[in-house]
Amino acid sequence: MNKELEHQFVSELESNQNIVHKVCSLYTNDAHSHNDLFQEISIQLWKAYPKFRGESKFSTWMYRVALNTAITLYRKSKKRVRTQEYDSVLFKIKADQYDDTQEQQLKLMYGAIKQLNDIDKALVFLYLENKDYAEISGTLGISEVNARVKMNRIKNKLRTILNP
Amino acid sequence: MDELELLKQHWQQEKQDLPKLSYKDIQQMIWKKSTSVVRWILIISLIELVLPHLIYLLPSAQSGFDIYTQLGISNWLFGFNAIYYLVALYFIYLFYKRYKEISVLDDSQKLMNNILKTRKTVKYYVIFSLSAALIVVLLVMGGIYTTPNLMELFPRDLEADGLTLVQYKQVLLLAVGIGGFAILSLMGIIYFLLYGFLIRKLRRNHQELRRIEV
Repeated sequence: MNKELEHQFVSELESNQNIVHKVCSLYTNDAHSHNDLFQEISIQLWKAYPKFRGESKFSTWMYRVALNTAITLYRKSKKRVRTQEYDSVLFKIKADQYDDTQEQQLKLMYGAIKQLNDIDKALVFLYLENKDYAEISGTLGISEVNARVKMNRIKNKLRTILNP
Repeated sequence: MDELELLKQHWQQEKQDLPKLSYKDIQQMIWKKSTSVVRWILIISLIELVLPHLIYLLPSAQSGFDIYTQLGISNWLFGFNAIYYLVALYFIYLFYKRYKEISVLDDSQKLMNNILKTRKTVKYYVIFSLSAALIVVLLVMGGIYTTPNLMELFPRDLEADGLTLVQYKQVLLLAVGIGGFAILSLMGIIYFLLYGFLIRKLRRNHQELRRIEV
């Protein structure tokens, strides 16, 4: 593959890397797995890049590949930390540092989202990224009605996690 | 839900604690080998497609052909093999076609469907291979049962063992039957464990995605 294409791709990914990092931090619990998943998403994006014709924004195009990699293609490596242990430790430390109520609320919410299953996480992620239901349903391959129903159920799940 | 809306407001503008990779980091990353489940499925499937054929390369399997001739089942086996290879080739073509259909640019549901379909092709191929091997075992048993010159093929001092010819035949049949069945079961178990392990997460997410559907 030619150098120019590579340069173009790496620059695009470099300036849009936050999207991929957000997906990685949602789906993994330690730095090692985070990098692992980031690498796999980058490889998949690069392999698919020749088919990217600029019909949509680069960032929009990334969502599908990143989420598909996280929920379908990626296999966790063996060296993983047990989810719950790691999470609780992390959140305790951060909660102690920020006693601001709103900040704490955000952390708790994020912690609750991390406890959801892979598919629910994908829906919440797209929702937080301000995607409409048409785009959510198109990315995941479910009907729009279904996406709405699922999103409502997820909100209920989150409520239960936050107020057990 | 208020907290979720709150998070949404902060989600995009908020300077989250995210790592920052350099141009060089990313450039090195994209040339690394993928560890995706699709790649593993490809590797394992290719092994599974080729493995049954490697058995014929073993010296003991080749000397086995003489026995087939003497058992009078070589014609049967020849015809059987011809059909077997035709079907096997068809499976390999099908696998290749399905594998090519897998694209990370499809929506998640379609991507998962295509991966599961590709894997299913290999599953059917393995079932077919194992059944074919079972038929060979049955053919050999049939050959032993009907052959008139059993003692020349499998010489043994029967008097020392205190066996009659009929008993000896029964022992041989039983040994081939149990041996063949055990090996096939073992292959089957290994295969299905590998298969299940590889796509456990994929299957769970596939079900989750379809939950409200239908």
